[in-house]
Amino acid sequence: MAEDIFLGDDFLRQLMSVGEADLLVAVPSYNNAGTIGQTVQAIEESYQRSFVRDRVVILNVDGGSSDHTTDVVVNMNGRKSGPHRGLTSLRTVHRVATQYAKSPSQGMALRTILATVDLLRARSCAIVSPATTNLDASWIANLLRPAYRQEFDFVAPLYARSKNQGLLARNLLYPMSRAVFGQRIREMYSEEWGFSGRLAAQCLSQNVWNVEAIRERPEAWMAITAISSGMKCCQSFLGPKAPPAAGTGPNFVEAVRQTVGNLFWCLENFQGFWLDRKGSASVATFGPEHELTAEEKAPSRKQFFEMFQKGVSELEPILATILAPDTHAQVKRIAELDPSKFRFGPELWVKTLYEFAASYHRSVINRDHMVQALVPLCRGQMYSFFLEHADSSAEEIEANSEAVCLEFERQKAYLIERWKAKS
Amino acid sequence: MAPQDETLWYKDAVIYQLHVRTFCDSDGNGSGDFRGLTNKLDYLQELGINAVWLLPFYPSPLRDDGYDIANYTSVNPSYGTVEDFKTFLNAAHSRHIRVITELVLNHTSDQHPWFQEARSSRDNPKRDWYVWSDTDTRYQNVRIIFLDTEMSNWAWDPISKSYYWHRFFSHQPDLNFDNPAVREAMWEVMKFWLDIGVDGFRLDAVPYLVEREGTSCENLPETHAVIRELRKRLDAAYPGKMLLAEANQWPADVRAYFGEGDEFHMAFHFPLMPRMFMAVKLEDRKPIIDILEQTPQIPENCQWCVFLRNHDELTLEMVTDIERDYMYDAFANDKEMRINLGIRRRLAPMMENDRRRVELLNGLLLSMPGTPIIYYGDEIGMGDNVYLGDRNGMRTPMQWNGGWNAGFSSADPERLYSPLISNPVYGYQAINVDSQRRSAHSLLSWTKSVIQTRNSSKVFSRGSIEFLNPSNHRVLAYVRQLGEEKVLVVNNLSSSAQAVELNLQSYKGHIPIEMFGRNLFPRIGELPYLLTLGPYQFFWFRLRRI
Repeated sequence: MAEDIFLGDDFLRQLMSVGEADLLVAVPSYNNAGTIGQTVQAIEESYQRSFVRDRVVILNVDGGSSDHTTDVVVNMNGRKSGPHRGLTSLRTVHRVATQYAKSPSQGMALRTILATVDLLRARSCAIVSPATTNLDASWIANLLRPAYRQEFDFVAPLYARSKNQGLLARNLLYPMSRAVFGQRIREMYSEEWGFSGRLAAQCLSQNVWNVEAIRERPEAWMAITAISSGMKCCQSFLGPKAPPAAGTGPNFVEAVRQTVGNLFWCLENFQGFWLDRKGSASVATFGPEHELTAEEKAPSRKQFFEMFQKGVSELEPILATILAPDTHAQVKRIAELDPSKFRFGPELWVKTLYEFAASYHRSVINRDHMVQALVPLCRGQMYSFFLEHADSSAEEIEANSEAVCLEFERQKAYLIERWKAKS
Repeated sequence: MAPQDETLWYKDAVIYQLHVRTFCDSDGNGSGDFRGLTNKLDYLQELGINAVWLLPFYPSPLRDDGYDIANYTSVNPSYGTVEDFKTFLNAAHSRHIRVITELVLNHTSDQHPWFQEARSSRDNPKRDWYVWSDTDTRYQNVRIIFLDTEMSNWAWDPISKSYYWHRFFSHQPDLNFDNPAVREAMWEVMKFWLDIGVDGFRLDAVPYLVEREGTSCENLPETHAVIRELRKRLDAAYPGKMLLAEANQWPADVRAYFGEGDEFHMAFHFPLMPRMFMAVKLEDRKPIIDILEQTPQIPENCQWCVFLRNHDELTLEMVTDIERDYMYDAFANDKEMRINLGIRRRLAPMMENDRRRVELLNGLLLSMPGTPIIYYGDEIGMGDNVYLGDRNGMRTPMQWNGGWNAGFSSADPERLYSPLISNPVYGYQAINVDSQRRSAHSLLSWTKSVIQTRNSSKVFSRGSIEFLNPSNHRVLAYVRQLGEEKVLVVNNLSSSAQAVELNLQSYKGHIPIEMFGRNLFPRIGELPYLLTLGPYQFFWFRLRRI
């Protein structure tokens, strides 16, 4: 592939001034002037507490903010404010910033970050979100250390969650990616993660930057690139993650479209790696492996069931092209159940997803439409979870999650069979 | 030179620090002496320095390299006589070299007659010349300086059966400066040497002169009063003579020793020194900028003294714990290299014999504000021997040539006061004055050249400093200015080539003239001024508006 120019001269000039770095923390932003100062302070504090001798950089990659987000990063006086007063670094803590586009794109932001990591020859990098309001200095250290000190290449975060948080990850993204790619990484889709300079260089050289699935959610692709290249992955516990402020995160449809769309794309593009792979292995984990709390009472979310019913009905022709007849019939059957007796069991759930994945592979219909057709089924599965686990303890939830994972692994042969079948 | 300028000679000095014992032995007794030193004055003149600071040369049991003085008004017989000193002094003056001697005010040797009298009985008139106590519980919270050797600041005297106070070694009892007779005696000592013609004193351990219960016994107002009294008498009777303070303290605390220009003329800038090393190792100007930002303004007639290495350990008292750990890891990974809170190594070995780094550090030393001090032997890149105990490894004989005893002495090698450095890298066969004199590209020749360049303008010794803050943090750049004269200094602190853009808008229209080669560089215009520097390279540019 011919190299295209995507870093501006002004930004390159900033990088020349930095020279070589050991550690880099990147903050992709878009109109985050209100919160990004706090993020930068947490990063500086982390550098001052944990990496006082090292060559460090804070990188802001901005998607065209109109609220002067980059000015906040570059001009704020971090040393003399904030809770870390009195701490200092032996070296200059560099802050560099660039606007990579007029409109935000996670993929383009990542490409800019990877290019920066590569040019500065940074050994370890972490990406954090300015929207995470409870970002702590220890998070940064926990994301940077494994790649810096222990030669890991991809560092996934682990969060303390309440039992009803992160259901898309717990019931779909984690178990499916675990079964397919063979590594037990719980949070492949997250706004915070870490990686090595080596992985950055490898990812940067891939010709994926115009792919929509990468432009929207590139983080799991990095993890899977690491796994498929035999690089070392790990998880690092960060603590509880505050939910995003109302209206700032993607809605459920967008979240499914971006994450599941990306996962299906990865299945397609890494099939040479996973088709012959069996079972799954745990990865090194720093801190507790999971920390669920059960205090939160499950919401009734009856409307989830109604949306599921409506979707199954309205999307019947589409589902008929995606799902096997027997599977489709089972889905229609449960859609007619009394809401209080509804259950979308693991066996049917896994089968449904694998058939979606195989249909995506064969492109039986427009892929984006196909992923969107999955949204009502996801809602149905979540409703089933709420019903079943309204009073479950954290241990019971964990046991259930593990059972779902094992069901994904058990049916992987079915996925492969459907994947290889001629349409 | 105007009379006022003449009295400020210390501002323009480049000081060479040496110990008579280490420099040259004229009579073959294995120890350097004043006659030997006098014979080497041509070398010092040739080097370009214009002041010599002599470490203590008084009669002493030499349990602390002469800082344990047993007689303030004589010369240790090993080094010669007072007459020999006078001859040396006159010879130095005839070469326009000033002489600064060491005066240890705070304490004497326990062999000094004053102490012998004081301990002889509790009724002796000299008893109150020292600080005594029946218990060792007074001044409880005062820190111990020589942590490696001393457990307490009190020592038991079995003769008078009481404790005496000592801030340094227990064989160095502190004088009692609350006693007017002590202050008078010390003034008499100073007069003795001033009458002979010395140009100034480096006063050792000044923060500790006076003790008060409930304090740290450091930097007390009463100590400042003692200094002011001495200074007043000095100015009245011996105008143009200089006092240099050894106060290993933070700049804000040292500032007090300048008073209103009525205490010390000069004081060492201790915290700057380790940070110069740190900046080069870290390849980042931050440590230097940080400490200079914390350095207060001093009166017009005062000056900081700056140095890279000296006869003591590279002190790490004025750094944070984090910085100290870093310095140890970076420069003293062998525990033998550490002593007290510091590092007992010379400049060249600390820089792994990297000529570029040695030059860069000397370039910084000679271009930053303050009067620079060069430690003997560092101008040729002498090595050290950390296994000689205490700080003796940095006090080995000067290496004059590759012959017998390095040309230092005709004595049998076994009789030398200290073994020579003899390893293949730093040994006298490889590193010596004679061989470096023969090469125009030797470190010695380079050092002469850089001193000559510094001495070519008072902008370095008296000029203001304005730091430029290029975005490239590996480059330390500043402009020194005195009247219309301006010098731009640009230092690459890193081991790799660097490009830097300097904002020189204020100097638009000036032509930078590189001071060593005298080459013209492009005129400064509207745009940032782009320079590229090789690893550890530095430039001194005279800025001329032509």
